[in-house]
Amino acid sequence: MARVQLSDLRKSFGQVQVIKGLDLDIADGEFVVFVGPSGCGKSTTLRIIAGLEDATSGAIRLDGRDVTRTRPADRGIAMVFQSYALFPHMTVADNIGFGLQLQKQDRALISRRVAEVAETLHLTPLLTRYPRELSGGQRQRVAIGRAIIRNPRVFLFDEPLSNLDAALRVQMRLEIARLHQGLGATMVYVTHDQVEAMTLADRIVVFNDGRIEQVGSPMDLYEHPENRFVAGFIGAPAMNFLPVRVLGTQLEVPGMATIPVPPGKEAATELGIRPEHLHVVDGLSADLSGEVELIERLGAETYAYVRVPGLPLDLTVRLPGETALRARSSIALKIDWTRAKWFNASGRVL
Amino acid sequence: MEQHNRFWRVVLLAAPLGVFGIFVLWPLFSSFYYSLTDWNGFDPNYSFVGFDNFAKIASDRLFLQAAINTAIWMVAAIVLPTTLGLALALLLDSRVLGARVFKSIFYLPICLSAVIVGQIWIWIYQADWGLLNTIITEVTGEKYKYAWLAKPDTALWSVIVAWSWQQTGLAMVIYLAGLTAIPGDLLEVCEIEGATPWQRFRRVVLPLLAPSTVVVVALSVINSLKGFDILYIMTGGGPFNSSDTLAMHMYNESFKKYLMGYGAAISVVLFLIAMAIIGLYFRQLRKVDRIYG
Ligand SMILES: Nc1ncnc2c1ncn2[C@@H]1O[C@H](COP(=O)(O)OP(=O)(O)OP(=O)(O)O)[C@@H](O)[C@H]1O
Ligand SMILES: [Mg+2]
Repeated sequence: MARVQLSDLRKSFGQVQVIKGLDLDIADGEFVVFVGPSGCGKSTTLRIIAGLEDATSGAIRLDGRDVTRTRPADRGIAMVFQSYALFPHMTVADNIGFGLQLQKQDRALISRRVAEVAETLHLTPLLTRYPRELSGGQRQRVAIGRAIIRNPRVFLFDEPLSNLDAALRVQMRLEIARLHQGLGATMVYVTHDQVEAMTLADRIVVFNDGRIEQVGSPMDLYEHPENRFVAGFIGAPAMNFLPVRVLGTQLEVPGMATIPVPPGKEAATELGIRPEHLHVVDGLSADLSGEVELIERLGAETYAYVRVPGLPLDLTVRLPGETALRARSSIALKIDWTRAKWFNASGRVL
Repeated sequence: MEQHNRFWRVVLLAAPLGVFGIFVLWPLFSSFYYSLTDWNGFDPNYSFVGFDNFAKIASDRLFLQAAINTAIWMVAAIVLPTTLGLALALLLDSRVLGARVFKSIFYLPICLSAVIVGQIWIWIYQADWGLLNTIITEVTGEKYKYAWLAKPDTALWSVIVAWSWQQTGLAMVIYLAGLTAIPGDLLEVCEIEGATPWQRFRRVVLPLLAPSTVVVVALSVINSLKGFDILYIMTGGGPFNSSDTLAMHMYNESFKKYLMGYGAAISVVLFLIAMAIIGLYFRQLRKVDRIYG
C-alpha cells in the first residue's frame, strides 16, 4: 500500500508535449479515477506511473521514494489492461501465477496463492482453461488475479471494463469496489464511464489536454465544478450552457425575460444548468418556454430535448419516467436558481 | 440453372484434377508398380520380382548410409535455418542500426535457385583459391586448409552449411512477421512482472511464435525433402557416398546404374517416410490450433 505523488510531470513524444505538468498526491489506500476526453493523456500518465513510459521531466514518488528512474518491476505496482493482456498459451492458473513463477517461488507456495486468488475472484473451476475458452468477464477477472497475487502497493487500471457488456460491467464494478475494500490498496483507475467514475472513486481527477482541470470527490465535482470544462464533463447528460449578457444591473438571457444581475455575478457570460435542475411548471411561473423536439424514455427517467426560441442549442431536461409529454408538446420550465452555475469569459465559475 | 452449375463445376475441377493426376498420381502409382519389377528404364521386357527390391534395400549398406545421412540432413536442415532465422529475427526486430538493409541482405539468398547457391558455395569451398581456404590461410597459415567438399568427413556438413545459408532468410522473414504479431501489452506485462530477458523469450516470446515455428518447420521439412538439387550440384552424393541421401541414392540407382525397379522401391520407402513426417506435423499443428485457433 502506498502513497503516490506526481510532481510537475511532463511527457513529450517527439516535438509534441502530451502531458503538460501534472501535480497530484494520491493518499495511501485511496481509489482515484482519471476521467477526461479521448487523447487527453490519461493512459500516458498511468503508463508513466507504471514505468512503461519515461517521464520527460518531473518526478514520481511512491511512499516518498523517488521511483522516476526505477524499472517497472521494482516499483511494486500492478497494471490491468483494457485488452486483459492474458498469455494465450498459458492456462488460467499459469496466467495468475506468472509473476510468482518468474520470481522462482516455491511451487507449493505458488499453487496455494493461485488457489487463494482464484477463490476471491470465483475462478476456481476455470483454473485449467486457456484464455480463449473464457468469457470477457472471466478474462478480466484473470487479469485482475494476475495483478493481485503479488500484493502490489499500487493497482493501475486502464479502462478495464470497457470491453464488457453493460450488465457484466455493473457486476465487475461491484467486484472491483469489493476488492478495494478487501485489499485496502491504492488504486488508480482510468475510465470513460461516468457511473464507474462516480461510484468507485474516492476522488476523481479530471484531465483535459495534458493538464488536470480539477481534483475532488465525485459529489464535490458535481456540486462545485471550478470551471466550465469540469461542469460540462461531469454529469450525464451534460449541463446546459446558456449565453448571457450583463447590461448594467440587468441580465439578458435569450428566450427569457431580463432579470436583475445576481450579486457577485457581474462578469457572467454564461449560465450553466443541469438537466435535473430544470423543472416543468405551468405557464405562469416559468422562466423559459419552448417545444419538445425529442423524448428519450429510459424507464426510470425520461429526457426531453427542448427547443427554446432565441437559444442556440436545445435544452436537455430530466423528467420522471412517467410523463405525458411527447414530441411537439409545448413545455414551460423553471430554473432552480440555487443550483445554477455562472461562468466568466475565461470559463471560471463565479 | 442447377444443371448448368454442375456442368461448369465438373469442367473447372477437371482441369486441375487432370494435371494433378498426370503429374502426381500417375508417377506415384507407376513408382509403386515398378518397385515390384526389375525394369531397367528402357527395356520393354521386364518381369515381376515381388518384394525382392525391398528385400534388397534391407541388406543394402549404401541405403543405410543414405538413410543416416538423410536423417542428419533433415534434422540439420530444419534446426540450423530455424534457429539462425529466429536469432536474426530477434536481433533485427530490436531497433539495431541498419536493420532494414540487413533484412534484405539476409533474405536475398532465398531468391536464388539451389543450383546457383550450390555453385557459389563450390567456389567458396574450392580447395586452392576458394574464399574459405584463402581466409583460413590468411589467419592461420596453410595448416587448416582443407578440401571441404572432397573429403568424406566434411562433404555433407559443407552442403548443409550452404543450404542453411540459403534457407535462413526465409525463416527470418517468417519469424519477423511473427514477432510483429505479438501484442505489445503482453511484453509490457513481462516488464511489469519483472521477467528477465531470457524469461521473456523462453516463457512468452517463443511460445507465442509457435504458429510461425509451425510454418518455418513445415517449409524446412518440405524444402529439405526436396533438397536434392544442391547436393547433386555440390557433391553428387560423394565422395565415396559420404553425402548420399535417399533421394540422391535413388537417383544414382535409377539413372546411373539403370536399376529403375530398385530405384522405384527406394522412392516408395522415401514416400512412406515423408508421409510419416507429415502425419506427425499435422498432429502438432492441431495442438497449436487448439491454443491459438
Ligand atoms: N507512443 C506514442 N507516440 C506518440 N504519441 C503518443 C504515443 N502515445 C500516446 N500519444 C499521444 O498522446 C496523447 C495522449 O494519449 P493517451 O493514450 O494518454 O490518451 P488517453 O487520455 O488515454 O485517451 P483515451 O481516452 O482515448 O484512451 C494522444 O494525443 C496520443 O496521440
Ligand atoms: Mg487511454
